[in-house]
Amino acid sequence: MSSEGEIAVEVRSLSKAYGSVFALNALDMKIKAGEYFVLLGPSGGGKTTLLRLVGGFIRPTLGNVFLHGKDVTNLPPNLRPTSMVFQSFALFPHMTVTKNVSYGLRLRKRPEDEILDRVQSMLKITGLQGLGDRMPHELSGGQQQRVQLARSLVLETKILLLDEPLAALDARLRKEMCIELKRLQEKVGITFVHVTHNQEEAMTVADNLAIISDGRLVESGSTIDLYESPGRRFTAEFIGENNIFDGEVKSINGEDVQVDLGYGIVSVFRRDKDVLVGDRVSISIRSELIKILDNSRALEPPIEELGAVYRQTVYLGLISSGILSLANGGEVVIRDISNNIGFKEVIAGTKLRVGWSRGDGRLHTN
Amino acid sequence: MEDDYSSIWSYRLKWLYTLLVVVTLMLPVFYVMYISFNENGFGARDYEFTLEWYGLIFSDLLMLDALRDTLFLSFLTTIIVLPMGIISAKLYKTTSHPMVVVSLMLSPLFVPSDILGSALLVFFKNLNIAFNALGKLIGVSWFDTWFDLGYMSAIIGLIIYTLPYVFIVILITMGRYREQQTEAARSCGATAWQAFKDIEFPQIRTGVFSSCAFAVILTFNEYTRTSLLKGGFDTFSTVLVSQMLNEGMSEQSYAMSSLVSYIAIIVIGTIILFTLVRRERLERELKAKAEPIMAR
Repeated sequence: MSSEGEIAVEVRSLSKAYGSVFALNALDMKIKAGEYFVLLGPSGGGKTTLLRLVGGFIRPTLGNVFLHGKDVTNLPPNLRPTSMVFQSFALFPHMTVTKNVSYGLRLRKRPEDEILDRVQSMLKITGLQGLGDRMPHELSGGQQQRVQLARSLVLETKILLLDEPLAALDARLRKEMCIELKRLQEKVGITFVHVTHNQEEAMTVADNLAIISDGRLVESGSTIDLYESPGRRFTAEFIGENNIFDGEVKSINGEDVQVDLGYGIVSVFRRDKDVLVGDRVSISIRSELIKILDNSRALEPPIEELGAVYRQTVYLGLISSGILSLANGGEVVIRDISNNIGFKEVIAGTKLRVGWSRGDGRLHTN
Repeated sequence: MEDDYSSIWSYRLKWLYTLLVVVTLMLPVFYVMYISFNENGFGARDYEFTLEWYGLIFSDLLMLDALRDTLFLSFLTTIIVLPMGIISAKLYKTTSHPMVVVSLMLSPLFVPSDILGSALLVFFKNLNIAFNALGKLIGVSWFDTWFDLGYMSAIIGLIIYTLPYVFIVILITMGRYREQQTEAARSCGATAWQAFKDIEFPQIRTGVFSSCAFAVILTFNEYTRTSLLKGGFDTFSTVLVSQMLNEGMSEQSYAMSSLVSYIAIIVIGTIILFTLVRRERLERELKAKAEPIMAR
């Protein structure tokens, strides 16, 4: 177990170029030891490139990689304190489960009885007891991923890298494996760095997240902070179901920033944003925080309002969404627990007003 | 069968045509085998079965020496060309210019054998002149025989000839191999060599052995380049051809040729059988994997 606050992974000005295209551009990031850290972002954004740079599978164009304080930029994968779980199953098809899991220990020339003990113990931890003699093709998708995990964890490396490990699994299995991964990480206590483009997967497992897009770090922080208080517009668009309203700053009065949306004027708290009158800005509000005012669901004042026309209700089981049109043709989405929704009986075409507490809006300058 | 609606007769006719082509190609070989058991030799009216010629193989010293030299050439060629083929195939898979690699590796195929042989002959002769002159210049005789025609020049010609085939066979086998397994091995602590030896090679082994067999058979069959580059020794094919052209083939030659054919057929047949059996096993395994598995 690492000491609290110790940095397990640090990248400084890390860049990777393919010709004139930068897959990763001057990225700085730190990951604490012992945490479950997720790199989240759209496909092609640079998350896997970053992970592979940390693992030593590709060489950076610029910048450095530090693992537990040691510069490993020029070291190959086998000399780094990392192990990796791959997206498509990278099990060795000509070896049994036991041989797969014990491969790294044999490379280290550990004594045979120690190898046997550690492998059996790891098979038990990963729920693979009794499957040691099976070949990879005889296992289900979930079992194959567990073998990969067992093979990596048995080496007791300090950092485990996971490259979209659940992408090839069906939705049900993915949910179960998410919880399984989290349980394993808490049990073994090592640093997990997990790449995914799936928001739900990220939110389930992560202690902290980094949003990577277009080769750059957009924002990082805890899952709660990024969900409830996204600093960047991209984060608000990517995480959660946020409504984004674009406009121009009309006036600034202390913490209150008035924004002209064109079809209405709303206010938002400035918080730490530097804005000037005339700046183009955007405001994000989570869909579950917007209410139909006519339904008099209590909102904490001050309240911001917009006029809208109700279009349709979308039933998604636990949650239902209401879709409304704004005066500029844009949409606003409101969400609530299905049993609880205040818009159950609203007829399509009804003109009404939607509102939110001013404090629930987030101001974005980019 | 292509699909449920295609005619079974069309399918059978295609098989029949294929078999006829194979039989036609193999007929001369079978005929030589047939003659090799005839006491009265080639062209005789009467056929009397005998194993005498096979017994006399070991008394034909010219043929035995040629066979020995051919085996030596094929062994050396195979052990040199095999790693070259593997490295080139791996380069093809990792480079961003795969067509350049393919073009370079397959280019000898587009040069007729006599032209390639003649070009190499001129090349070695000029190298010989140049190195001899160098040796005279610096007062040593080390370089005098370096590029004389002989085993080295013959082997170089055979390497150029066999390398494209070895490259292609290994490349095709590597097509099934996933590079992520190498990365997984590296992340387990394996060096590049260990990852190749433990993980990749076992999976491309069939292709490697096939390419070895290919290299040996091509070397045995090669005449044009080898006859130009061999210098003073003989190979199996050069002896056979010179016998045919000058004095007619001896009965032992037919026996020897048949013996080599038996070995080639056994080797290739074994590889084909092994590949078919393995493919069937893999298909069964894939089918088993595709079926629903109830328990996790």
